[in-house]
Amino acid sequence: MSTALRVEGLTKRFAGVTANDNVDFDLRPGEIHCLFGENGAGKSTLSSCIFGFYRPDKGEILLRDQPVHIASPMDAIRHGIGMVHQHFVLVPEFTVLENIIVGTQRSGWRLNAAEARQKLKAICDGYGIDLDLDAYVWELPVGRQQWVEILKTLYLDAQILILDEPTAVLTPGESRILFDIVRKMCARGMSIILITHKLVEVMQSDRVTVLRKGKVVATLDTPDTTPDELARLMVGRDVSFTVTKPELEPGETVLAVEGLSARGFWGDPVLKDVSFSVARHEILGIAGVAGNGQKELFEVLCGVRRPAAGSIRFKGEEVAGMSPRSMMDRGVGHIPDDRFREGLVPEFSVAENVVLGWQRSPKYRNGPLMDRQAIGGLAREMIAEYQIATRDEQVAAGKLSGGNAQKIIIAREFLHASGLVLANQPTRGLDVGVIEYVQTQLLKKRAEGFAIVLASEELSDLFNLADRIAVMFKGEIMGIVDPRATTVAEVGVMMAGRRNEAAASKERVSA
Amino acid sequence: MIRFERRTEANALWTAVSFAMAVAAGLAASAALIATTGADVLQVFAALLQGAAGSPKALATTLVKATPLILTGLATVIAFRAQIWSIGQEGQVLAGAMGGYLGAQLLAGLPPLLFFPGVLAFGMAAGMGLGWIAAVLRNRFAVNEIISTVMLNYLVVYLLSWLLQGGPWGETGGTISYQQSPMLPEEAFLPALFGSSRLHAGVLLPLLAAAICALVMSRTPLGYEIRGLGYNPEALRHKGVNIGRTVTVIMVASAALAALAGAIELFGVAHRLRADNLLGLGYAGIIVGMIGGLSPIGTVFAGLFFGGLASGAVYMRVLGDVPASLVPAMQGITLFFFLCAGVMARYRVVMKVAVQ
Repeated sequence: MSTALRVEGLTKRFAGVTANDNVDFDLRPGEIHCLFGENGAGKSTLSSCIFGFYRPDKGEILLRDQPVHIASPMDAIRHGIGMVHQHFVLVPEFTVLENIIVGTQRSGWRLNAAEARQKLKAICDGYGIDLDLDAYVWELPVGRQQWVEILKTLYLDAQILILDEPTAVLTPGESRILFDIVRKMCARGMSIILITHKLVEVMQSDRVTVLRKGKVVATLDTPDTTPDELARLMVGRDVSFTVTKPELEPGETVLAVEGLSARGFWGDPVLKDVSFSVARHEILGIAGVAGNGQKELFEVLCGVRRPAAGSIRFKGEEVAGMSPRSMMDRGVGHIPDDRFREGLVPEFSVAENVVLGWQRSPKYRNGPLMDRQAIGGLAREMIAEYQIATRDEQVAAGKLSGGNAQKIIIAREFLHASGLVLANQPTRGLDVGVIEYVQTQLLKKRAEGFAIVLASEELSDLFNLADRIAVMFKGEIMGIVDPRATTVAEVGVMMAGRRNEAAASKERVSA
Repeated sequence: MIRFERRTEANALWTAVSFAMAVAAGLAASAALIATTGADVLQVFAALLQGAAGSPKALATTLVKATPLILTGLATVIAFRAQIWSIGQEGQVLAGAMGGYLGAQLLAGLPPLLFFPGVLAFGMAAGMGLGWIAAVLRNRFAVNEIISTVMLNYLVVYLLSWLLQGGPWGETGGTISYQQSPMLPEEAFLPALFGSSRLHAGVLLPLLAAAICALVMSRTPLGYEIRGLGYNPEALRHKGVNIGRTVTVIMVASAALAALAGAIELFGVAHRLRADNLLGLGYAGIIVGMIGGLSPIGTVFAGLFFGGLASGAVYMRVLGDVPASLVPAMQGITLFFFLCAGVMARYRVVMKVAVQ
């Protein structure tokens, strides 16, 4: 059988680390082929070699059985390979049309908009993509922005499309539409390489190649395999998908939020009249597609952003508008979603990061100087307790993997917090093994009597951990539901903006 | 094929090689420049060396010349490490001299043990005021510190100019103005060390300041915050550090160091308030701090190097018969190659045959 693309014995090393080790991979015309594996398993490296970002150290890439040499992404595009990145590469101030034609025109110096418009209209009609070519990209919801990226590759006549974690930013509904479009592409003979670490998506593909530590573990026909088998192949051991959550009676209220509103940089409302409360021994889940106010909510709660209106009571004390320092001193721990930007100083050592925010604390000081012995000792303790994979405590935190970096933040926040932990996307982008670990740690804190606010884009996280789930859409809470009495689909509908009337009316005391 | 690859980790040997190459390249380029003047390159270099370190007197001059440069270099280091691009050192040097001069008027007659700390404090306070203005502008109105400090530099230059020409501090000798103040009384001269006429006690201060800066930067919570601010202010803000207050502390401390340079020049070298021995010290300090790798100890060496160049310049002009303005040109060349070396130290050269 002829292949659309074949990779033979591809090896790529980075400074002594073998990211891809003698990888064989083939893509048939018209199939969705999943690249499945943990972070650092080599999925991105392999796709980057195919798309010409990296040059393989060894091995061959064959397109339609012809060996090719792909030196750059431009080369890849010329060969009919397109890629949609996890983070979109669009200019928000440009229209859809402008975003697609700028930089993709092959000759001449004047933009030939009319011709491009015709071609794009034809593509949109063919795939049933309903997109206004003259809309500015900033106006579009994230799901549509992704369409723009896909449209761009179609416009460039791609025959092979690489999708890198395409559903990370989509609602369940948007993901379904994406898969509809992708299947239509396959029906027309295009081949799709889908990079993901979500099992739900893998199960929608035709074949799957599992990578572990840079090596191909198996290539399977998806219908012949099960999620359990795939997870085992990916991690190399058995994984439990559901952590056991003991039933605990909620204690007294720790955090009570009422009528909380906040405004963005341009005065636009980013939080609208948000009310909820969390008690001891309780995890409140916050569901929602990224960018619907979760980040702003956490920022207001930890003092980084000022609220425009409303009240926040922590252990009975009004704390709205207090500084991050005051919140930290009162025992509020915060695990931010952007761990390398907001949670760590990547250039600082692990030890320095363990005391970030507490550098002036007398515990870590010896007179006017920082007590290096005490801090180093503490860091070694944390490394052992949280199983942080690092050579020693002097390594810069930025050199650690995302999972290990996250463990530093968790160790620090758990060490210094008392009463409340705010965790925004604590498992985003982490390996299954680490996710399991983070979940266990959160449940441990819950058992100790902490109140926890946990936002996650992974509904499975929330259904596993949360005692109640608040769903956010455009800065509002669409309703607070009991995960034991609610389905994922119901929460998905609320994530797309449908209010859960029953739940919402309960929350609303008076207009 | 030769390629440059970014290093994932610094390599001490390669860093040393890079900077050694920078020195060599700087010397070679300087030699080429000297050659264009028609002078004998070796003779000029010999004169330079002799002027910088050829005798105890030359060494003393080098130390004296290095003193303000190290201080303005340290001022640069603490601001730049926090990614605060203050270039107000120039104005702060002048303010330091002016404040010191004012202090000398007010504190005249005090015993030396009170007088000198007092006047130096006056000078530093004047500079700190300038740094504080720039910090407030940045914190309150988000004014970029590069703009505000440059503007303040102009302001201070013209203020000094007015004070000395027609203003209250000018020396009036007949009908012409000398653009300088009258001489300070001799008891206001910084005491000499080792009985040398030029080596004043002020040369000890930059070494003390560098030691304190090094300790503060590496061991104290404030230094931790300064470094953290330079790397990732967002994380610091999230973790309860008051960014505005930290910026103010840094800019005021930086200004104090630069102003100290101006005050020491006044009481140790010029003994009267005049602009021409102060101008350029602040800007040179930026170069010194950069060449010193934004480390306090490195800055001491860079300052001594530049002090040596400045001291050698005089000999070079006399013995080598070349224009003294070659020295600033050589300083610029050195900075250029040091900056190159800084980049080079972060890359590795990969030579390999392309496999096709």
